[in-house]
Amino acid sequence: MLRKTPAQRVALAVFGLVIAVVFLFPTYWMFTTALKTPAQILSPDYDLIPLSATLENFGNAIAKPGFSTFLTNSLIVTLGSVVFALVAGLLAAVPLARMRFRGRKGFILLVLVSQLAPLEALFVPMYLIMRDADLLNSLWGLLLVYVAFTLPFTVWTLRGFVKGIPIELEEAAMVDGCGRWGVFRRVTLPLLGPGLVATSVFSFITAWNEFLYALVFMRDQDKLTLPVWLSSFRTAFGTDWGGIMAASVIYAVPALIFFLLLQRKLVGGATAGAVKG
Amino acid sequence: MTSTVNTVLPAGSPPPAARPGAGRRARRPLSDIALPYLMLLPAVALMVALLGWPALQVIAISFRKLDLGELVRGEIKWVGLDNYANVLNDPEFWVIALRTAVFTVTVVLSTLLVGLGIAVLMRHLSTWVRISLQVCLVLAWATPIVATTTVFQWMFDQEYGILNKTLVLLGFDSFKGHSWFASGGSTLTVIGLLVLWQAVPFIAFTLYAGLLSTPKDLYEAAAIDGATGWQAFRAVSWPSLRPLLMLVTFLSVLWDFKVFAQVWAIRQGGPDGQSTTLPVLLYLKGIAGSHFGVSAAVAVLMLIILVAVTWRYMRLLVRSPETEL
Repeated sequence: MLRKTPAQRVALAVFGLVIAVVFLFPTYWMFTTALKTPAQILSPDYDLIPLSATLENFGNAIAKPGFSTFLTNSLIVTLGSVVFALVAGLLAAVPLARMRFRGRKGFILLVLVSQLAPLEALFVPMYLIMRDADLLNSLWGLLLVYVAFTLPFTVWTLRGFVKGIPIELEEAAMVDGCGRWGVFRRVTLPLLGPGLVATSVFSFITAWNEFLYALVFMRDQDKLTLPVWLSSFRTAFGTDWGGIMAASVIYAVPALIFFLLLQRKLVGGATAGAVKG
Repeated sequence: MTSTVNTVLPAGSPPPAARPGAGRRARRPLSDIALPYLMLLPAVALMVALLGWPALQVIAISFRKLDLGELVRGEIKWVGLDNYANVLNDPEFWVIALRTAVFTVTVVLSTLLVGLGIAVLMRHLSTWVRISLQVCLVLAWATPIVATTTVFQWMFDQEYGILNKTLVLLGFDSFKGHSWFASGGSTLTVIGLLVLWQAVPFIAFTLYAGLLSTPKDLYEAAAIDGATGWQAFRAVSWPSLRPLLMLVTFLSVLWDFKVFAQVWAIRQGGPDGQSTTLPVLLYLKGIAGSHFGVSAAVAVLMLIILVAVTWRYMRLLVRSPETEL
């Protein structure tokens, strides 16, 4: 590392903090707006820092009918698709990274090409498939769709992470008498931590965010998910910014918790494995 | 792909044992040969059923007339290349395609530049400043798209938006009541900022990880040899960053080209269609307009553009020595 003078160090710190503030601002603004009364929100005063706060908006948002159902639906579909994508993705990543078999490159190409399709385009055939499989209006159907959406990236990233584990470690465990499963459980799996975190964050965000399929596939009011709930807010309360912001905060909180829980492994892990071929 | 599995499984011919390094696995039982396919089965089955098969159907639909009537009656009406002719003969399509290309290139380049800058900066920050920056980035990254889009609309609001208020406070009185969504260019700039704000954290963290994986003594050696900061970056950081940069460029192109939710949520492609991009056109023709054949043709054209742009990189990935065992 090159040596820096104190002045340079201060300048760097200031620069770093300015960028931090820029990236924090929209989140900060969402949060503080949610704490304002309608009168404060529409006042012409300059109110970058709120002087008083009310939890009224949050109360109103949570009291909306169906909130807890939507939250539960979103959590089920999102966490479910994260788990499914991780299991199926890891099962596929290991042979693609470590085993020799016919058609391997074909599978790799399939995984790569699958990421090209615009998901909005698959809408009509997807709708027909789900209808014929009787999975419309079912959380299971939505869950499967999200797993399929995230699998190509999951397989690709995990494959890179598996390749990143020195094969010597696995061979040493075999010499020590571990079976194939023992090697996987004792050596490969623990070392895959960052990779699993990075890919689960990706699946979580994709599923938690998805709006279009959730809106059209789910017909019953009690099967809707949070993004749909949030948008229904907007048409009903076109100008109630406080309410929308409070709903947005509520909607963002589970994602924030998920990220912060995994943050230590995430920072540095993101796609560190993904370039290893 | 399923056909590969079917033909390979029963054949059961052991691969040539003479391959160097494969001696250990020379005589493999049938279960060993089947194992990789069994492990791939869940993922491949799902991807084929819910991505591959629908994608093939979209290609087929692009050669059919499929409006609401045909859809309800289950009628199959082939029209050859009519849908493509319809799309390609519309001068509006070319305007939209060009706009999408400019949008994608601008957003990808600026995301990469900002992300790379932050990654390099993080290396030089003291611990607590770096952690504050990282927490802010994670917050931006984790805020869901629908929520972020709403916040951006609120910040850029004509009457009460904080941006206009700040600009007026700073003395730019002309921004009082200024609408940021009055023209396509301005609307797309706001959308670009929104996408950038959400995409930079992922890229910054990925590149930062790449920088960290460069051994520190290489930097020390470069410093002893009298390298300036820039020279050290070129000679030491660049080689380990290059493959990562190529990967995040590839992913950014895919993601930014296909951005739909944000563009749609901000102004539904307006005003007057001036911020309509290809994914929005796809939606307008298909789900909104019920011309599913035309919409499928747009999808196929988008796919062709993406394949053309990323083909060389994908070949590189598949052919690279790393994909060998």
